[in-house]
This record gives sequence, C-alpha cells and structure tokens, in this order.
Amino acid sequence: MITAGIDLGATYSKVVILDDGKVVGKGISKTTLEPEESVEKALNAALQEAKIDKGQVERTGVTGSGRRAIKDADVVATDVTADARGAYHLDKEVKTVIDVGGEDARAVKVGENGKVINSAVNDKCAAGAGAFVEAMSRAMQLSLEEFAEASLKSTQEIPINAQCAIFAESEVVSLISDETPREDICRAVHDGIADRITSMAKRVLVEEKVGLMGGAVMNKGLVESIREGLGLDPIILPDPLFVSALGIALMAADQED
Amino acid sequence: MINDFIDVYKNRHDYAKDWKKKNPDSKVVGYMCSYFPEELFYAAGMLPVRILGSHEPQNVTEPYIFGMYCPFSRDVLAQGLQGHYDYLDAVSTAYPCMHLGQAFDSWTLHVTQKKFYVDMPNRVQTPYAVPFLTGRLEETKQEIEEWIGREITDSDLKEAINVYNENRALLREIYEMRKADDVPLTGTECMYITTASLFMDKKDANKLLKETIENELKGRKAKTADDTRLMVLGSENDDIKFLNMVEEFSAVIVTDDHCTGSRYFWNPVEEQDDPIQAIAQRYIDRPLCPQRDYPERKRLPYLLDMARDWNVAGIIALQQKFCDPHELDKVALLDWFKENDIPTIYLELDVTVPIGQFKIRVEALLERLREDELW
Amino acid sequence: MVEKKYKTAPLKSWDKAKEIRLNIYKEIAEAKSKGKVLLGGGAESLIALPTGFDYAMLVGEPYGAAISYLAKSDPDEYMKYVEASEHAGYPRDLCAYMRNYIGSILRDKYVFGGPFPKIDFYLQAGFCDTHSKWYQAVSDITGRPYFSLDLVPFDWEIEGESEKTKDLKRKYIVDQIHEAIAWMEKQTGREFNDETFIQGVLNECESTSLWAKVCIANRAIPAPLDEKTMLSLYVLAVIGRPRNDVVEFYRELLDEVEDRVANQIAANPYETARIITDSQPPWFALDLFRLLETYGVVSVGAHYTFGLSGGWEYDEENKTWEAGKTPQEKGVEVKTRDEAANVLADWWLRTGTVCRGVRHSGAGKIQRIMDMVDRWKVDGAIVHLNRGCEGTSLGQMDIVSSLLERGLPTMTYEGNHADPREYDENRTFARIESFMETMGLKQLYEFKKGE
Repeated sequence: MITAGIDLGATYSKVVILDDGKVVGKGISKTTLEPEESVEKALNAALQEAKIDKGQVERTGVTGSGRRAIKDADVVATDVTADARGAYHLDKEVKTVIDVGGEDARAVKVGENGKVINSAVNDKCAAGAGAFVEAMSRAMQLSLEEFAEASLKSTQEIPINAQCAIFAESEVVSLISDETPREDICRAVHDGIADRITSMAKRVLVEEKVGLMGGAVMNKGLVESIREGLGLDPIILPDPLFVSALGIALMAADQED
Repeated sequence: MINDFIDVYKNRHDYAKDWKKKNPDSKVVGYMCSYFPEELFYAAGMLPVRILGSHEPQNVTEPYIFGMYCPFSRDVLAQGLQGHYDYLDAVSTAYPCMHLGQAFDSWTLHVTQKKFYVDMPNRVQTPYAVPFLTGRLEETKQEIEEWIGREITDSDLKEAINVYNENRALLREIYEMRKADDVPLTGTECMYITTASLFMDKKDANKLLKETIENELKGRKAKTADDTRLMVLGSENDDIKFLNMVEEFSAVIVTDDHCTGSRYFWNPVEEQDDPIQAIAQRYIDRPLCPQRDYPERKRLPYLLDMARDWNVAGIIALQQKFCDPHELDKVALLDWFKENDIPTIYLELDVTVPIGQFKIRVEALLERLREDELW
Repeated sequence: MVEKKYKTAPLKSWDKAKEIRLNIYKEIAEAKSKGKVLLGGGAESLIALPTGFDYAMLVGEPYGAAISYLAKSDPDEYMKYVEASEHAGYPRDLCAYMRNYIGSILRDKYVFGGPFPKIDFYLQAGFCDTHSKWYQAVSDITGRPYFSLDLVPFDWEIEGESEKTKDLKRKYIVDQIHEAIAWMEKQTGREFNDETFIQGVLNECESTSLWAKVCIANRAIPAPLDEKTMLSLYVLAVIGRPRNDVVEFYRELLDEVEDRVANQIAANPYETARIITDSQPPWFALDLFRLLETYGVVSVGAHYTFGLSGGWEYDEENKTWEAGKTPQEKGVEVKTRDEAANVLADWWLRTGTVCRGVRHSGAGKIQRIMDMVDRWKVDGAIVHLNRGCEGTSLGQMDIVSSLLERGLPTMTYEGNHADPREYDENRTFARIESFMETMGLKQLYEFKKGE
C-alpha cells in the first residue's frame, strides 16, 4: 500500500511517501502563509522522487502544528504521537525522543509499540530553540555552519542564563562587547539552549536510548551541548527532519479500513 | 584578612569539610534562610552553614520546581540535587517564604538527610509572635537533643549567644568604618566578608575579623571621598560580579540591606533570663525581610535612617526575579525614596546577570548623582 | 453517533447558587446606605471573623476573577484594569487577582457597576505570603486601615507534627483572633456581638464540611458533577460560608447530588475517562473543560476545588481524608467568644488542605493527590502551571513527577488564573489534543467554542 505522511510545521512542510512500509520518497518546502501550497510543493517533490503519481496514494496522514489546514486526510494526529511512532519505527530501542524545532523543543517518552507514555514541551520562560541559535549566529555575522563549527573549538565554558531568552540575548551582547573569544560565545549559546532543552526533557523522566530529531539537531555544536547536558549519549535519528512525517505515514498505513 | 574571607567564600564546601575533619564528633547543618536560629545549633556544638546558590546555569531542577519560582530558590535546590551538600548532617530552615520553602520541601523529598524545620511567624508585628516562636524553639532544642543524645544547657546557649553576638559586633564595627569619607574597604570586599561569615565557625570568623580590622582595615583607604557613595538593598544577593562592576565607576557601596549582608547580623541577642526567649526575641526584632514587614511598613523608615547615617547619595535596589515580597514593596519603596530625595534604581537579579544591560542603568544613576553634585 | 452510557439532567440547585451570589454582591453595593460595616479582605480562611458585626464583605479573590471574565466579553475594558495597576508600578508577575483588584481601586470602578465600594477596613487571615501583603498595598493606595492575621498552618499528617506544635499554632491563632476583634471594634466604634459570631463560626465549619461531602459524592461512577460546574458551586463557600443561606444551600445541594448518584445521573453521558486538575483554572477560559467533554472526559475535581473552602479531616487509620466532623456533629457546645475562636482556629488548622498545601508541599501534598487519584478513580491529570498564583503552584512539579512515576498520564499547560495575556488557548488545546491521543481517547463529537 502507498501512503503519504505530511508534517505541516511552522517553519517547514515535510512529506514522506511509503510503499509497503518502505520510504520511497521525501520532499520539503518552506511553510508560507498558504500552507496548502507549501504542502503541495513538498508532496510533489516527494512523489517525484518516488516516481509515483498522486492518484496512486491510497491513504494520507497529516500532523504538525498546521495540520488542521489540510482537509480530507485519512489520519490526523499531533506531533507527539507521530514523533513516537516514527522514532519507534527507526529504532525500536529508543525510549525518549527529543524533537528540537525552530521555536519549540519537545520530549516524548515512548512505550511499547511506539505508544506515547508522556510528553513535555518548553514553557514560556524557557521558550526558544533553533531559531534563537540562528538569531545569535546572525548577530555574530556567522553562518549557522560556521557558528556550529566555532562552538566545537571552544576552550572555556561561560555561564549564560539558561532560562530566559531575553536575558540570554543581552548576556551574549555583553560578551560580544567584552571581546570574549568567538568560539566561547558560540558554545555559551549552545549550552544555554541545551540547558533549556534538557531541563524540559528531564520532566518526562528520560530513559535511554535517547533519539534526537528535528531540524536543529543538524547543528553539531548544539548536539554536543545537549549530549553534555543530558549526561547520556543520544543518537541522531536518520533523516531527523522527517521523523514526524514518517510516523504519520506509518499511522495512515496501520489504520484499519 | 580579606583574602582569607574571599578564600572561604570561594571554597565554602572545603571549609565545611575541613571543619568536620577537625571536629569529627560534630555535625554540620545547612540552612536556607537568615531567620534560622543558628545559636541553638551552635550551642549543640554544630556548624550551621547557609546554603546559597552557585550562580551557574543548571538543568536539574525543572522536574521539581515551577519556573515562576525565584532564580535563587531554584539555584539553591540545584545545589542539593547535584550533591554539592552531601556532607551535611542535616538540612534545615526557618519558614522563609513560599519560594525558598518550596526549595526546602523538594530538597528534603529527594535528598536523604535529617531535616529541621522551624515555623517562623510572618507577622512579627504581633505581640504573640515571640511566645509562639519561643515555644517552637524549645521544641527544636528538644529535637536537637534527641538527635545528638545530650542536653543543651543554658550555659551552652549563653556561650553560643556570646560568640554570635561578638560576631555581630565585629561585623557592625566594619560597617561603622564604612561611614568614613575615605572608605577602608570596597562594598565588594565587604560582601566577601559578610557572606563568608555565613559559612564559618563564628569563633574562627571572629578571630579573623579582629585581625582584619586591626591589621588591614585601620588606616586603609580603599576608596576616597571622590567616589560616589551608594547603598544596595533587596533580596538575597551575593552577586560579586555585579558589585564589582558598580565599583569600577568611581563609586563605592558603603552599606546594604540584604539577608546575606547587614540584615543577617545587625541586631544582637539581648540578655534575658530565658535564653531561648532571648533568641526568639532577637529574630522577631531583627531588620525585616519584606516577607515579614506588615501590616505597618516599618522597613522603609529603617532603610532611610541607614541611608542617611551612611551618607548615601543613591540606592540600587536588587531583587530576585519573581520575588513577591519584594515586589509588593516595590511601589512603596520607590515612592518613599523619591519623596526623600534619594535617587534609586531597581534591578532584577537572575542566576546570571546581563552585566552590559545593568552597566547602562548604573552609569545613568551615577551620572544623575554627579549632576546633582554639580548643582 | 456514539451511544450515551448514562442519563443527564440539569442541576436544580443551579439557579439558587446564582441568586445567592448576586445577593452577596448586591449587599456589598448597598452596605453603606444600610448602615452596615463594609470590609474587604481575603477568602483564604476564618471569614467568620467579622460576623460579630452587621456587615458585608468584599472578598478579593473571586472579585479579581470576576474582572478577568471581562477578557472574554470586553477585552479592552479588561485591559484598563491591569494597565492601571501596571502603570502604577505593580509588577506583572504578582498575583493576578490582586493586580486586577488594585486596578479596580485605582480606576475607582466596581466591576459590577458604579464606583469602587467605600471599604471601612481590610482584614486578611492569610496563609499565602503574597495575600498577606495584598491589602498592605491596597492600604498604601486607599489609606484605609488593615489587619492581617498570620495563619501558620499544620504540616501534613505524614510529617508527624507533635501535639505541642499543634497547640502552639492553635494558640497563636486564637490570640490573634482576639486581637483582631479588639482591633475591629476600635476601627468601627461598634460592639462585637458574640452570639452572631458563634453562629458564623459554626456555619463556616458546616459549609466547608458539606462541600467536602459534595466532593466525596463525586467519587461515584458516573460522576454526578464535573469540575466546571463545581467551580460555580464552591464559590458560595468562598465568599459566604459563615452565612445561614449558604449553609442551607449546601444542605440542599448535597441532597440533590446524592440523589443523582443514587439514580446514576451523570455530568457527562459518555464518561470515557476521569481526570483531576491542579491549581485554579484560567477563569476566563473554562472552555477547556468543554473540549475535554467532547472526548467523554470528566474532570472530577482538584485539590484546589475540593480544599480551598472544603473541610477535610485526616483519617489516621486508613491514611485518607474524609469530610471534617463539625462541632455540631461532635456535640461540642460553643457558648463563648473564646470557645468560638478555638473552634475556628482548630477547624482551619485541621481541615484546611489548601491552607497547609500553600505552606507545605513535599510528601504530604503528594499523598493527598494520590489519595484523590485512588478514591476518585482517576485515569489522568491535567496540571495548570499557574503563573498567576505561586501559592497553589507550590509543589506542583513534584506532584507531576510523582504522577508520572506512578504511570498516570499527566499533562501540564502554562497559564494564569486571572490574566488572559499569559494563557495561550491554541497551544493549550493542542496539548490537550495530544494528551487525549496519549490516553487513547477519540473525540466523540465536534467541539464548538463558546457553547
């Protein structure tokens, strides 16, 4: 059976095409003010990769914060459920998933057969995830890749506010004006964000194995800080941007007629 | 000497562990709020040490304490959860406030240590507060006696009161020296001294204080009459980095009202026949934390007297973010100093502070004060 | 269409509850013209204190909540209240009830119409530190005198507090009750009537005990009441528990609820799952209970809803809580002011679960929550991380962690009980939706806002 999984996120729309449980195509596009168009674009890219016509898709599942914009899906579920299902499919031993997106980070505790045991997301005072790192890299006039690389070369830890992004930002500004080595500032930003993410993750009672997913885990510097913050050795799930889309595609395939 | 206090401040855990080695039969008791009646524990041969935060970001408290509780309470709890105080024989508090009380509840839930809890009344302005606290302290004394298996005699108590009173008098002497035009020590140095004394055996602290006063402070000029005289006040504050920044601008902090500073030691235990009641009276009469300053506002005139006695040009009020008792005084306090013509700025402390942002506020205050001087 | 499992019926007591509540607010507005003493103060405890006078009392917390309702009907008007308090410099993270209340005074606007009532004096018997200073700030603004009684609560039973400590606490409160009465006589120039005071005290005990009994009736399956309804019913105890009509109301309500239990009349005809919540709800956004209903979920109550004005007595033998036995039930005769003061102090110290929960969290508060999970047969918990109330959020995170360790599905959402700016409905609903998935529940019918 051919199914499509759509993850309509705040920043990106992601689509996975499954043929009898195997990934045959993936597509991504920036989410715009016209979410249906964004999904269409990602879907077409995925179908093209899979060499499949739209008409051949038997079932569609949709997840992500914008999921309500998509009508006529066969299965609709929240990211939490889709994250768990996708992660479980990729690695049966994963018990905790940490999804680091642009604005939010989320932790999901995964139980038997990929079912959710519990979940947590960042609260108000500790908001911000990937987008904060991007903003800081812009403030330092570095590309995100350069920022991540620099952080890995840092030789000292500088404590910055782990809870409040506004405070953290003004501390970064102070560090820049104090001519603190660039590498150390980059690391301080990653450590600050990682502290917030791991603090939140601990609320679900983290158990190994821990799987990381979401766009921001492609930043090696941030992953290193998360690793230190957890005191555990998490794995990065394959295609970390598409885990939710994969999960919802699997749920669509599972659904009984 | 001042450097010795700095050393204790920076290595407080080593100090307590060394003390334990030297006094193998004695116990170390950590406490969370300056309303804790240390004399009772000292009389039982113990070392009471105040538990403060580390000013380091951490990721261990979120499953146990709500993010709206003040940074200090979260930092304190982190110390327990991270095992930095595993050497304590007991953890304790007098009822502080909801936030620090939460840190205590959570600490005692997750760290296995003997605990002592004293119901400190909030409304110290009622005549019934002293008998209530006296009763509770008698019970605490009994609890300690059961724990250590021996009686705490009146003479033990009087001895402890004497040592603590001497400590208070010596610290007060240093504060008196700060009234001079040429101040013998900076506010930062003074903060090291007062805060380090929170961790020290008062006998050691007293010896060191005497030496410091005699051999280091007398005749010393750390700051001159040209430096702008400031007072800091507010909630728990051992933010050395911040004080240091302020004093780099030709300013000098000459006094304070913090529970890690003057509020801790200001008034002695006055002698009474019943030493327990004398101790209770001392804690009821001490300079007020806003948590306990109601219904009448007694704290404001007290602060004004202090500001005048120390000839202060301006005030920096600092409170822990989310601290309700301080926030409930904020409007009244700012109005009060405005009416009394003492320029005041109000800042919020977090575990780490955005020094650059605060620098701008402090510079603006100092510019304003120096303009006033020109006119 | 999913089949209904149980029958439902509207609550007969509903209209009477509404009527008494309106009467109380009317009495406040008319108090001065009728020559009554008019005081302001907190709902927390001992509100029988002024019953020795012919009086009316504006109770601050529900009043602050009433202002927050405006956010739904007239958001611009609501903003004027909070902005008034914020412009005057009151920090935004203080108790939201209090900020709304202060805004109302600064605007000289009574939310039920007309100028803010001319209060003679303020009286607080507080166990919440913030509320103990609430009327100090009000007194700064209005210049009206203020008395604050310091209620030092008992610790939770599990902590094994000594009888001597308990006696000290009782005595400390009794002494202050006498002090408060003398103070009120001085402020009003009127004589305190011991007879009406004694009746007020007995009523305060009985109303709160009856409310606990109503909550206990909700252990039944199906639950006869859902929390949203309970929140409209408990408010009478909050604002008027020493009143004769309020006691009478709770007697009738208990009869009706027990009758519903006997006849299996449900709050939710589907009752697919039972949950508890924690802390006050966002008062202006009770729709979240409606959303839960569409999944067949009934919230059977909360530590807060049960305990703020509920009298719960610990049963040492079975390690659980039952409705407090009133002095009347125990055959205790109360003849003097001092006896009444002792009864009142003892009642709050022994039976006030929210009262102690604002001072002590730890193992005792967790025990209370677990007791609710067991005895109200609860399948999940929704915890409101309430940024507007640090008192009721004491111990919340430890409770969440304990519930998760026990394996009970538990979700949190951030909000504020009386400041809508801190509550994000879309985000909260999204969380509820994933929580429902986690609990394996399907939506039974579409949710329509505002119904």
